[in-house]
Amino acid sequence: MPQYQNVFKDEAKLDINYVPKRLPHRDRELRLLMEFFDFMLHFPGKMSQRVLIVGEVGTGKTALSQRFGVDMTREAGNRGTNLHYIHVNCREYHGSFFLILQHAVTVFHPNFPKRGYSAEELLTFLMQILDEENAYAILTLDEFDSLVLTEGSDAVYQLTRSQEVRQNKPQRLSLVCILRDMSAIGQLDASTRSTLQSNIINLAKYSKQQLIDILNERVIIAFKPLAVPEETIDTIAELAYSENGNARFGIELLWRAGKYANAENFDIVSAESVRKAISSIVPATKKSDLAYLNLHEKLFLLGLARLFKDGHKAHVSLAEAEQIYMVACEEFNTEPHSHTQLWKYLHTLSGAGIVKTEVSAAGPRGRTTLVYLPRIPAADLEKELWALLQWKGA
Amino acid sequence: MDVEDIFSSRVRMKILKVLAQMGELNVSDITRRLGVNYQTTARHLDVLEAEDILQHKKFGRIRLYRLNERSPKARAIQTLLDAWKESGVKSGRQS
Repeated sequence: MPQYQNVFKDEAKLDINYVPKRLPHRDRELRLLMEFFDFMLHFPGKMSQRVLIVGEVGTGKTALSQRFGVDMTREAGNRGTNLHYIHVNCREYHGSFFLILQHAVTVFHPNFPKRGYSAEELLTFLMQILDEENAYAILTLDEFDSLVLTEGSDAVYQLTRSQEVRQNKPQRLSLVCILRDMSAIGQLDASTRSTLQSNIINLAKYSKQQLIDILNERVIIAFKPLAVPEETIDTIAELAYSENGNARFGIELLWRAGKYANAENFDIVSAESVRKAISSIVPATKKSDLAYLNLHEKLFLLGLARLFKDGHKAHVSLAEAEQIYMVACEEFNTEPHSHTQLWKYLHTLSGAGIVKTEVSAAGPRGRTTLVYLPRIPAADLEKELWALLQWKGA
Repeated sequence: MDVEDIFSSRVRMKILKVLAQMGELNVSDITRRLGVNYQTTARHLDVLEAEDILQHKKFGRIRLYRLNERSPKARAIQTLLDAWKESGVKSGRQS
């Protein structure tokens, strides 16, 4: 049997459900979350807590809460406290209060019957179980907006007030609510809102450098040494940053690019593998977009496609692009346009989403414009442009 | 009740088998799995609970039955059923 290359060491480390041991750039938020629940380690039962984690898609909300859950449960276990961290994605249960509580109860009784009781009874059963087992639970409601949208204030009110009706009994149920923005909270009635809004952890969008750090951590544990060059990580970080700083998008793209590299039997994940991977998940530039470009825009883009085609480059300088554009002009017997004109072409291509530009940090020779080809496989682009230019010339 | 009285009932043996396999079930679920009527299941569950082999937890109208982990009889039955299942797998038989 032929030997195939495999760039992965452990691709499960790129799975959406993997909880990394370290969360780069979220240490402060993790410490704050631990601080909010510190009472559970020192005097469990004396109080309960409600925390909101708010942030856009891919800002690490789920990873943060799950890391917290693992750390908190272990720490509580070391101190002899029977603490359960229960993570429920509300959207997965169509925002149904009944199904969310049923999930919580099945953590303790996996074969709990599926019907024959109400959501209110389920909440009572959950508290009964916690009392009987002398246990405490942190119930994390991920995509909390879904619950608010489906059930409104009543369900949330019951959850947040479930302790108050249990006078002289230990406080056993705490809540972590995860949501993208605060608009869902605005839909709750005033009394429910007031029970939730005291502890809010806001997760800011990741910067490109932070995304590079996150990707690097995953590369170390998921890929074989030297399988993912710096340029590839840079390209993925750039793409994830343009997707609103979405780390999850970046990690999924990293995995997919690895799959494309394996399929082509490469021993490294090149920037070209990333372009192929992204064109498979987001619609690539349509052929019609290329057809509308003028001759020199096409020639300039053809040159860029050729520069990126070797697969290793994440970006090229404008000077390099200009050089190869001149070669393409000679090939098609046309006089090259001026540097200023090329600037305009670059602007057009960037506006159409075909290329991305970035100004590099000041070096010994000043700042340089860097050109990225983030979304389209360079080989496909070259082929397409070549066909269009030939047709034009015919 | 003597051991032969406990083991002589096909329904009781099936209840023990299903609980040894599933861990914990309510009366309706056991009834459905056994294909007998509710009253029959309830009656045999009472017998097994009276012998300390089973225990139940009550949540409102729901009763969840399981083998009584603290009972030496229940532990012996679990061992017996596991061994039976294991030898069935080895010989290619369904237990």
